[in-house]
Amino acid sequence: MDRHIRWLLVTPAVLIVIALTIFPLGFSLWVSFVQYDFTLGPEHPWVGLDNFVENWKDPVWRASLWRTVWFSLSMVAIELVLGMLLALAMLRPFRGRRALMTLFVIPLFISPVVVGGFFDLFVRRPYGIANQLASWVWPGTVTIDFSNDSPWLYIVLIIADVWQWTPFMFIIILAGLAAIPDTLYEAADLDGAKPRQSFLFVTLPLVLPVVLIAVTFRLIDAAKLFDIIFSLTRGGPGTDTYTTSYYLYQQGFEFFHLGQGTAGAWMFMIMLTFVSYWLVRRLLKPLEEAA
Amino acid sequence: MTSVPERSRDAAGATRVVRGGRFRVGGVVRFVFIGVYVAFLLLPLYWMAVTSIKSQDDQLSDPPVWFPSDPTSVNFADALNRFNGWKGLQNSLIIALVTTVLAVALGTTAAYSMARFRTGGKHLAFWFLSQRLMPPIAVIIPIFLLYSRYSEEWFGVTLIDTRIGLILLYTVFALPFTVWMMYAYFRQMPAELEEAALVDGCSRLQALLKIAWPLAAPGIVSAAAFAFIFAWTEFLFAQVLGRSEAVTVPVALAGMITFFQGNLYGQASALTVVSLVPAVLLGILVQRHLVRGLTLGAVQG
Amino acid sequence: MSDEVFHDPNVPQEDYLSGLRLARRDFLLKSGLAAAAIAAAPTWLQSEQAAAAIKASTSVGAVRDPIAANAVAAAKKHSGFSMGRVNEAGPQALDDKNFSGPLWEKLTGIKTNLTEAPFAQIRTKIITENLAKSGALDSVEVSPAWIPDFADQGVILPIDALVRKNKAQATVADLHPLYRALARYKGKTWGFFDDGDVWALYYRKDIFANAKLKAAYKTKFKRDLRVPRSWDEFNQVAQFITDQMAPKVYGTGMGRALGNPGNQFYFFQQFRANGGRFFNPQTMKAEIANAIGVKTMNQILLQNKASPPGVEKLDFVSGWGLWLQGKTAMIMAWPPTGRISENISQRDKAFSFLPKSQIVGKVGYARVPGQNGEHAGAFIKCVMATSENQDAAYLYNQWATSPSISLQRVMLPYTLRDPYRISHYRSPAYKKLWKGADQYLVTLAEAANDAVLDLSMSGAGDYANALDRAMTSMYAGKDVKEALDEAAREWDSITRKLGVAKQRASYANFLKYPGATSKNTIRKLGQAIKV
Repeated sequence: MDRHIRWLLVTPAVLIVIALTIFPLGFSLWVSFVQYDFTLGPEHPWVGLDNFVENWKDPVWRASLWRTVWFSLSMVAIELVLGMLLALAMLRPFRGRRALMTLFVIPLFISPVVVGGFFDLFVRRPYGIANQLASWVWPGTVTIDFSNDSPWLYIVLIIADVWQWTPFMFIIILAGLAAIPDTLYEAADLDGAKPRQSFLFVTLPLVLPVVLIAVTFRLIDAAKLFDIIFSLTRGGPGTDTYTTSYYLYQQGFEFFHLGQGTAGAWMFMIMLTFVSYWLVRRLLKPLEEAA
Repeated sequence: MTSVPERSRDAAGATRVVRGGRFRVGGVVRFVFIGVYVAFLLLPLYWMAVTSIKSQDDQLSDPPVWFPSDPTSVNFADALNRFNGWKGLQNSLIIALVTTVLAVALGTTAAYSMARFRTGGKHLAFWFLSQRLMPPIAVIIPIFLLYSRYSEEWFGVTLIDTRIGLILLYTVFALPFTVWMMYAYFRQMPAELEEAALVDGCSRLQALLKIAWPLAAPGIVSAAAFAFIFAWTEFLFAQVLGRSEAVTVPVALAGMITFFQGNLYGQASALTVVSLVPAVLLGILVQRHLVRGLTLGAVQG
Repeated sequence: MSDEVFHDPNVPQEDYLSGLRLARRDFLLKSGLAAAAIAAAPTWLQSEQAAAAIKASTSVGAVRDPIAANAVAAAKKHSGFSMGRVNEAGPQALDDKNFSGPLWEKLTGIKTNLTEAPFAQIRTKIITENLAKSGALDSVEVSPAWIPDFADQGVILPIDALVRKNKAQATVADLHPLYRALARYKGKTWGFFDDGDVWALYYRKDIFANAKLKAAYKTKFKRDLRVPRSWDEFNQVAQFITDQMAPKVYGTGMGRALGNPGNQFYFFQQFRANGGRFFNPQTMKAEIANAIGVKTMNQILLQNKASPPGVEKLDFVSGWGLWLQGKTAMIMAWPPTGRISENISQRDKAFSFLPKSQIVGKVGYARVPGQNGEHAGAFIKCVMATSENQDAAYLYNQWATSPSISLQRVMLPYTLRDPYRISHYRSPAYKKLWKGADQYLVTLAEAANDAVLDLSMSGAGDYANALDRAMTSMYAGKDVKEALDEAAREWDSITRKLGVAKQRASYANFLKYPGATSKNTIRKLGQAIKV
């Protein structure tokens, strides 16, 4: 009985995924190896690896890859640290905690493309408030062009992403923290552990699997960073804020060099697969042990 | 989702949650930190809110107007009636809710099987995750072709510019996270109760429906929240697969703020503010379960 | 050519057009009412414009416009059809939603199913529909720069036969010759031109008349302060005004944000006004990085220097915001500038994306420095080849762009359609929109006489994007020569990818358009329109 039902239970989920992805994946694999470019015409001759090579010939693609790496790493790192600190701070009850929790999740409900648009509004001169705010905390009058000057535009992009996604880290880590039974701390107390020691040796190891799942999903999404770029900088000035996803979107969708864009997407996915597989193996280990 | 409150209390250990861990951050530092974060969070939200009641003359003004002398509601009327606001809200709400139900139903059953019977092992788990790895651009055109042409030629159904088309797609995109969360949740949930039920003569399906699901309710609520969030905020596919009918909130908003001739910040703020109403309601509804529901594996005592 | 060919030859033009005249106070009152009842759908019916359009499309006699009326009569057999349209998201789409769409349905029973897309995505929507062939789109807005690709790939339909069949040749004859040429490619007509997007120089008359400023200028430069005629003079004057009046007023301030709508327009215009050419027509090597290119870029950077801080990220609409608040003294911009400066558009609640003008009555119009204004962007109404009812789509396009209906549409306060017909330029109704509107119309017609075109050839989008990126990187401090070299390399790489021979032919074809260079503008070809 169990033997049948176990497969029966996974089948609907697997089927709907396959049903909706098999054609797109097959099609995109084919597109990667043929000429599929609106400007070049309606024929689709086989071009071998040309589409893949074409990406590597473009310095913008190469730069976008590195930018994607350090963008996503720094965004997720900041979100992780902030989310962790916030979860620790919010762990014990206090008055108004419930209301704050509701407030904290609000950014998750705003589309990233809209968040990007609004951060653009905050930082643009002369209408934005960024310089006014900076003048409050910084001596003198601040006149930074936040959306055009390096490194400020990177900082703005990262802040926008952090604003949106820290709640995600926060919630998941808080859940992990909340699940640690008091008995463990009591045991650590009895052993004479200092707060810092009990954090390092009790809290961290126990919360690590939760952190990993949050980091994995955030990292995958951050690596595909598109919406905020799309609405905040459009990749500019020049190509200074092109992420790989934005580059591929431009090539494939805006200018309709679909063959090249799709081939790039496949290469990008393979890279991402390696990273996430490595993460997932670490993720699965504690889950396996849990059983 | 509705049967959550009472049942779950004993399930995931509400008492543990409330008392929480014992790691102490100095009281003052703790609240200063929370305060700074709240300010960081509120400032953009305040600016959105105040932008939504500014008249056009205050919108692009130098220096910026922190509070308008003549607040107006015209942006709301405009955004909702003239720029697809109502239509977007309606569509987004339906799409997000149905997606949530589908993703949770399919994801939970699959995760249960994977957790209890190790169905598919590591590979199936990673396969689900890998659905999230592909950059949208690789599949967006084929999905467009599938929806606008082949679904009609092959199966006689039109999916382009329909809610059902977006719902199906979002379900697929939301599944990886749902499956993974519920997978982890079921892993840490003790199997004894279900086994006892089986001994008492329950079928496996009954055990799932009557024992496991209610016990997993907090986890389901939080998985549902994230599925909802995904469907509520997705932009790129909605933009490409929608035309005039299946316009969602992000698409309506992007049309207002991200393009030339579209710096309708007042209207965009207004629609954003309105679109936060369901968000806040949902936040209030689930926040109690959200944290409890996310208590994942490996944290057993 | 005669301007009277499009209407009943027995009725003089003035009578015909006066039937459409706006009673301004009445109109104001009614749009105020419309604003009060913002949710009520049928407010469009109350507008004078709608009434005039209905009259022109249906009645007999003086106010009848045969182009419009014939289209309506012929389209009635398609009653009940739901016509797929694409228009630009935002104010432009309000035309379909509040005016043309409901009117067309009332007149013919054909419904409009509108897809709104941002400018760049209109192209994508059309291309993807062409791939899908689902028949979802019928009548689409196409920018002239896309016509070569769309025509070559069979995306849109040549309409010559349909024009002959519906005896609508006169509607083409009434177009400004520049716009008449733009819808043509490889000997065929691909749509009805529908938006005269020519740039002109808008300046503040009060600032240029300021005695103190004039005296100071004369002392400093030993010449009179006047509306600049070259870009060097423009930069000198702009910087002078900024030095004297900033932060209250800056010399200039034009939208420079990446892709919004794109800086290539500025370069295209000034580069050719400086005598540059884009490619070597034989080798197809890009020639934008030569001395003329560097000079052009340096001029553009000087304009930025005279602009308010943050100009590098200023989008076009925000640039209008500054202008309307009186913070800039001169801008080179699209025609709506003239209307919004006089608060024509802001009177309508539907037009809610710009602040009220504080410079009413203070705005002068001139040709842009270098004399050749860019004809930037624009729209042509085309019929999709994949349309399942090409006839209905064609008839809609004929009706909406017909002299009488298009006149109402370019006078609509809330959309951004600009005059493009000879009859628009001469319309008494338009001239009465505000004091000085006659001068405005003259300026637009003259600007079209001198206009140079966007690079309209295969791969136009790629070239424009590469240039736009290079320009914004220069705004952020990159060396001019280095950035231009990089853009030229990108252009060469695009040409190589698309095929040098194919691109050579495509460029040669572009060079045949009037306005492809500053040497073959409409005026130089002797076809200039006098208003």
